[in-house]
Amino acid sequence: MSMLTGFRDKSFLDKISILNEVATAKDPAELDALLDLFQNPLDDTSVDYMVVTALNGVLSSDEQKAVEVLDKEEGKLRTLCIRVCGEFQFKSAVPVLLKMAEGDVDPDFLFEVLTSLSKIGGPEALDLFRSNINNDDDLIVVMSIEMLGELKDEESIPALKAFVERNNEDDNYEVCDLTTWKAVECLASIGSDDALDFVVANLHHRNPTVRRVVTDSLTVLAGKAVPYLTKVISPETDKDDMILAANVLGFIGDKEGLDILMDAIEKQYSTDSSVKYAIYEAIGRIGTMKGVISLIDGLEDDDELITVAVMTGLDGLVNPGVTKKLVEIVGQGGSKAGKILRAIVTAKAVDIFQILYAEEKIGRFLMNAVVASKDSEVHEAFRTKLIEIGGEEAEADIARLPEAVEVGGKKALAVDDSKSMLALYRSILTNAGYEPTVGENGQDAYAHIQLGEKFDVIITDMNMPVMDGMEFVSKLRQTEGYADIPVIMVTTESEYSQQELARKTGVNDFITKPFTADQLKAKIAEYVS
Amino acid sequence: MNVELAKPFIKAAVDVLSMMAMISPKPGKPYVKKSKTAVGDVTGLVGITGDMNGTISISFTKNCAVTIVKNMLGDDIQDILQDVQDAVGEITNMVSGQARAGLAEQGLVFSGATPSVIMGDNHTITHIATTPIMAIPFTSEAGEFTIEFCFE
Repeated sequence: MSMLTGFRDKSFLDKISILNEVATAKDPAELDALLDLFQNPLDDTSVDYMVVTALNGVLSSDEQKAVEVLDKEEGKLRTLCIRVCGEFQFKSAVPVLLKMAEGDVDPDFLFEVLTSLSKIGGPEALDLFRSNINNDDDLIVVMSIEMLGELKDEESIPALKAFVERNNEDDNYEVCDLTTWKAVECLASIGSDDALDFVVANLHHRNPTVRRVVTDSLTVLAGKAVPYLTKVISPETDKDDMILAANVLGFIGDKEGLDILMDAIEKQYSTDSSVKYAIYEAIGRIGTMKGVISLIDGLEDDDELITVAVMTGLDGLVNPGVTKKLVEIVGQGGSKAGKILRAIVTAKAVDIFQILYAEEKIGRFLMNAVVASKDSEVHEAFRTKLIEIGGEEAEADIARLPEAVEVGGKKALAVDDSKSMLALYRSILTNAGYEPTVGENGQDAYAHIQLGEKFDVIITDMNMPVMDGMEFVSKLRQTEGYADIPVIMVTTESEYSQQELARKTGVNDFITKPFTADQLKAKIAEYVS
Repeated sequence: MNVELAKPFIKAAVDVLSMMAMISPKPGKPYVKKSKTAVGDVTGLVGITGDMNGTISISFTKNCAVTIVKNMLGDDIQDILQDVQDAVGEITNMVSGQARAGLAEQGLVFSGATPSVIMGDNHTITHIATTPIMAIPFTSEAGEFTIEFCFE
């Protein structure tokens, strides 16, 4: 006899325990009685909810019956079956579901069908997903895009590209559409030459969020993205694209990317120092011994910024060869030696410091450079290292470091995701009489604002992970008390549209990488008296 | 997949607001934000845990929140700040509850925390997850509000 006989007359507690048993036993014999309870509910929310659970359980154990009910029923029972078929991946439901999606159907219902088909998986529904890629309902579009990615459908590439391109047009680039995000991920997942070349080409999309999505997707692809990124590292490429590609190659950290980066330096693909900076930084991030050769060559460059990037990269890679070379260059003295010593201090390259510290005269020069710095964080970093080194000489040197340096009382906030750029800002700002505070991205920097810290000037990068410069400035401007504080954006973007968007957001002025310490100081002086 | 999770919340928000506050919200074009903060004047925020973890927020403009409270309570408003806070918390709770019931029918089980309400012009709140945040703007006769989703 069915457990559900005389169910409606039972007490509440009995009803609950019976339904619990039915849900666990999953006996198809109970199906008809359950269907009756589902179609004619008892108007008690908890009991009705358990009827759904029990029905789910029973249908899940009987694919044939579930598909049969799916095929012949209407309304809420049909919806329940659509979900059951999806949840338990009933392959035989696919033809029935496909038929349901035909013709003019309600978008909510279509979404249910598509969700179910996406859970069941398999190529049978490919045409249906293709045909809904331009549906009026964005969520249906997104669901379709996700599935086309899973099925790696190369035929959809032109349609996917169109989403990203539309979001790049003059009137449409200010927000990143949900469809653009999914289209980029989908193209990355399809992974054909055509798709990946397109994704790489959008490293320089006009919308900052899209650029982040592109960078993230390529970083996730890791080694697979490297050949497409290295294609961009060529003498013919626009410098901004080369910088962005070098950044991603650094994030991926795959050795395969190294040769092309080293080539780019050796064969002078670009003489622009911000390109060289990005490449050295990427080589440092990839961090193999082979890259060390390029980094050492980078010491020949006159640009102080590049020397800082090289030192940041070299710091984790010290070996006897590196030591010998550094001792040799610095031993020759002159302006080059001074530049290298300053860069070691600015980059807080404590491991390089440690090996050079043991080199008598050079060690003394280097220590003098540390003491000469006005940056208390620099002192702190080297103090920690000196304690680690230990010994009489180190103790005497620790005593030379000032406890805290008096500054002019003016404060500056610098935001950049590059460690060496931050080191450089600290150095320039302390030198100009500012007490520097730094943030690795917009969110990190905004935390200081939320604490109510006051600054005389803010210097921020545009492209950063987590929160980019544009969003940071927009949030800053909406925060009480920060509406008028001067913001200078550091950018490599030459496009007018980017600056226009940034100005609208509340950026006061721009400075283009590369810049000298004096140029930055002059720019700050325009806004802070 | 985020989208199938978002749908029940959108539906629940429309249902709850039309039933409780007698307004008819229309969803706009969904977009993506990379930062973890939501901006609004009054925000109900709820964390959910289960098959996936994440946070959902509903941020109302000041005008929209006040209109909703007036529609819910009539003219019987004692302390507008307190009442707005209560009402937005209650709405968030109902939306979260109804949406989770919808998700349970799809076999996704979640439990929801007690919502918190943050007030203050253009305040910011932080979602806990690290993935991009999906935002859906709504317009209604009472004003604008935005639902944001963030799932790990």
